[in-house]
Amino acid sequence: MSAQILLNGLMLGAIYACIAVGFSLVWGVLNVINMVHGAFIILGGYLTFFAWLHFKIHPFLMILPVALLMFGLGYVLQRGMINKVISKPVLTTLTLTFGLEMILYNAMNLAFSATPRRIALDMGVFNMGELLLPIDRIASMVLALTLTGLLYLVLRTSKIGRAIVAVRMDRDAASLMGINVPQIYAVTFGIGAFMAGACGALVAVVFPVSTSLTGLFLGKAFVICVIGGLGTVPGALVGGLALGVIESVAGYWLGPQNAILIGFILMLVLLVVRPTGIMGKKGYE
Amino acid sequence: MSRFSFGLLAKVAKAMLGAGVVSTFMLGAASAQTIKIGTPLALTGGLADEGKKQVIAYDMWLKRINAAGGIDVGGKKMKVELIRYDYQTNEQRAQQLAERLIVEDKVDFLLAPFGSGHTKVVAGVAERYGVPVVATSASSESIFNQGYKNLFGVLAPNTGSITNLLALVGQAQPNVKRVAILGREDVFPKAMATTMNDLATKAGFQVQSMEFYPVNTLDLATPISKIKSLKPDWIYITGYSKDLILARKQMADLGVTAPVVTMITGPVYKEFIDALGAQAENVTSASWWHHSAQMTGDDPWGSTKAFYDEFVAREKQDPDYVHAASAAALVALQKAIEKAKTLDKAKVREALATLDVKTFYGPIKFGPNGMNTAITGLPIIQVQNGQPVPLFPEAVKKGNLRVFK
Repeated sequence: MSAQILLNGLMLGAIYACIAVGFSLVWGVLNVINMVHGAFIILGGYLTFFAWLHFKIHPFLMILPVALLMFGLGYVLQRGMINKVISKPVLTTLTLTFGLEMILYNAMNLAFSATPRRIALDMGVFNMGELLLPIDRIASMVLALTLTGLLYLVLRTSKIGRAIVAVRMDRDAASLMGINVPQIYAVTFGIGAFMAGACGALVAVVFPVSTSLTGLFLGKAFVICVIGGLGTVPGALVGGLALGVIESVAGYWLGPQNAILIGFILMLVLLVVRPTGIMGKKGYE
Repeated sequence: MSRFSFGLLAKVAKAMLGAGVVSTFMLGAASAQTIKIGTPLALTGGLADEGKKQVIAYDMWLKRINAAGGIDVGGKKMKVELIRYDYQTNEQRAQQLAERLIVEDKVDFLLAPFGSGHTKVVAGVAERYGVPVVATSASSESIFNQGYKNLFGVLAPNTGSITNLLALVGQAQPNVKRVAILGREDVFPKAMATTMNDLATKAGFQVQSMEFYPVNTLDLATPISKIKSLKPDWIYITGYSKDLILARKQMADLGVTAPVVTMITGPVYKEFIDALGAQAENVTSASWWHHSAQMTGDDPWGSTKAFYDEFVAREKQDPDYVHAASAAALVALQKAIEKAKTLDKAKVREALATLDVKTFYGPIKFGPNGMNTAITGLPIIQVQNGQPVPLFPEAVKKGNLRVFK
């Protein structure tokens, strides 16, 4: 039973990491607390659900199209709106993204209603002795980790990735080195939306999709960033996996009513003893 | 810009205004001659589906009553105006809007939002101002035992449905003894879980576990894995549709089953069955009303059949208990106003307290705590062949209890 609980936690944690990585990147690079991130995930989930419902497109095949669409949306929103207030205090950008979240949330409610939608694709279960591995969850976990790993590689090895890291480290110095900072901001916000869209497609396979989950995903992303550390892919990965395992183990031993509480207690403890988070660097707390 | 874009923009703008927007349902212009009924509704947020069900039922009643000239108030017909606000499934907002309806809109009476939790906060405000409030979908006795004099609810108490459920399972499956309970940490689902725990123990069942998951739970794999290790005969889970859809899916993923699986109250709703498909089969639930029960009464429809036919013609689907109870709440208010022959709040409250009427929904007679005590034989349903089929009471029974293999 303990192994199953741990496995449940890891499967959940991988999805948590995917939820948080885009949010963490935007926060770390742009210093924008992107309140619309949870709604992006749900929009990605709805697009995947309706593609499956109406056109019978397998949800895993929708990951890339949905993510690209969300990249475009994120890029346009950043260039057209958020960039205009990017140098203002963080409260201004927070308020703007909060307003955008309200628009998107209510538009989705009107368009899709709050009815929970579920992709009824039962992919079966893989048995490993006592362990049960639902194939949709395992596949989602692998894809979530792959996406997170790919983002890490892009940031480490590509020109645009290095530019993003440079802007995150020192915006003024990066600008003096010839990096087009507004362009990097928009691309970073687009990547954040890309990851949210891809994650939404995965979430739609595992969980019912409903607008009521937007705040929940945003809250999880926030907690994971504090636990793992801000602005880095490894931070989101470690934070997500840690939160998933902690919630699963605490839920088993202390009851599900205490699982979320334990996650928040860990967040508070880290804020006191290690404000940078487990993997974070000084200056990004 | 295309018409589509304008339409969408208008919808978004309306949604953005959110709770600031007041929508008035009425045939004809509002005037001093109208009866004002106010209601905070969850038109967006987690309970938006339930809120929209209330809107449908209110609209049906309003059209009928105003088409007939309105409510008879001491020999004078007065039309009805329904003032609603979207409280966005936010409890604090529901409280603020209830106050606004009373103080600024000067409504005569209130209807409570969906669910016991939000009914409680609105009832608290109504009590302060002495405004009668009728609850459409609150069945937790804890809400009605707060000493509120102005709160009345058309649903029968929770205990009735669980007593019937225990009797049905006990008779049909005498080998079912061990029960595992998982409930949502929220007013109604928690009440349904704890009531089950108490009544099942009294009825001789062995309750192996009772656990609660928080409102903002994304994943239920861990509590469901725990239930698996107990090997229960009966798995009983309470929550709202999203939780129950997730719970049923994760039960299938983790190979968790039991001869009897009950979910309160998901299987009653079409959205639960649509989302789960074959996995919804054989899940049992309790309901507060089923259209198979053919009632007649003195109300704008006159019979269950007339209500059902109008609903199906309009919505192209069967009504569930939320639709029926929402319409019945307005019928109760209408009958109390007719009985009081005045809009005086204290007199209408007295008329509600002594009301004893038969309606399309069933009899309505409020007990000392304001709950509808006239309804007995609450239906127990089971999803069979993609439909919620009543198993109990005998008068509406259309199938026998099936067990999971």
